[in-house]
Amino acid sequence: MRMPGRIPVESLGTAHFPYHWDADALVARRQLLQFAVYTSGALFSVTALLAVLGLTRRPPSSPSRAIVSAKALAPGHAYYFNYPGPEDQAMLLHLPTGEFVAYSQKCTHLSCAVYYQPERARLYCPCHDGVFSPATGGPIAGPPDRPLPRINLQVRDGTIYATGVEA
Amino acid sequence: MSEIGQAAILLAALLIGLLLMGIQLWLLTVALELYLGGNGGQVWQLALVSGVIFLGGWAMLRLLRRRPRVRDTSTG
Repeated sequence: MRMPGRIPVESLGTAHFPYHWDADALVARRQLLQFAVYTSGALFSVTALLAVLGLTRRPPSSPSRAIVSAKALAPGHAYYFNYPGPEDQAMLLHLPTGEFVAYSQKCTHLSCAVYYQPERARLYCPCHDGVFSPATGGPIAGPPDRPLPRINLQVRDGTIYATGVEA
Repeated sequence: MSEIGQAAILLAALLIGLLLMGIQLWLLTVALELYLGGNGGQVWQLALVSGVIFLGGWAMLRLLRRRPRVRDTSTG
């Protein structure tokens, strides 16, 4: 027999907090899903920003520029210079075969500087042990999977000129 | 639909969403590598895939966004 004016004990909880305890977990999972979708939107935004920057960035112009005298560079040695821009590091190699080749010094893996190691006949990136062929600029070992951008050369009056960068 | 079934669907959506978010993160690293490597012109394809994943997740969130069910105690 209930006393008049008193709330039944079994309805006390649902009257003040009308959610079943399972619903609490549902709300938490919904919030996590919401957070995941927002994070997904942020990842998409950054990727889209890179895409816009990639589409709008124009390749730098490549003027013809004198690098060094051909006689000044002995076979098996390298000459480091900047081309096409003042901050674009590049290297001119005089191969033991007598041929001159030039490449961008920027590794195609994560843009570290690549160096010529004539004693091992290779171009070496010390950041992640990437190795390129001095003759072709193609990747030989390590993480890089694209060749180094090649710089076109011309020899005029004993001086080596850079005339452009191959894509 | 029962609460257990609803919770299972929500949990499945959450797991799939987190998996797709991992794929988006991988796409972002590939896009960054292409951009830094001077091949930024190809990044739009990755952005397209990432956008499709985001829209799918957003649609799933809209589909599942309902108030949590309250147990009806009046009928016993």
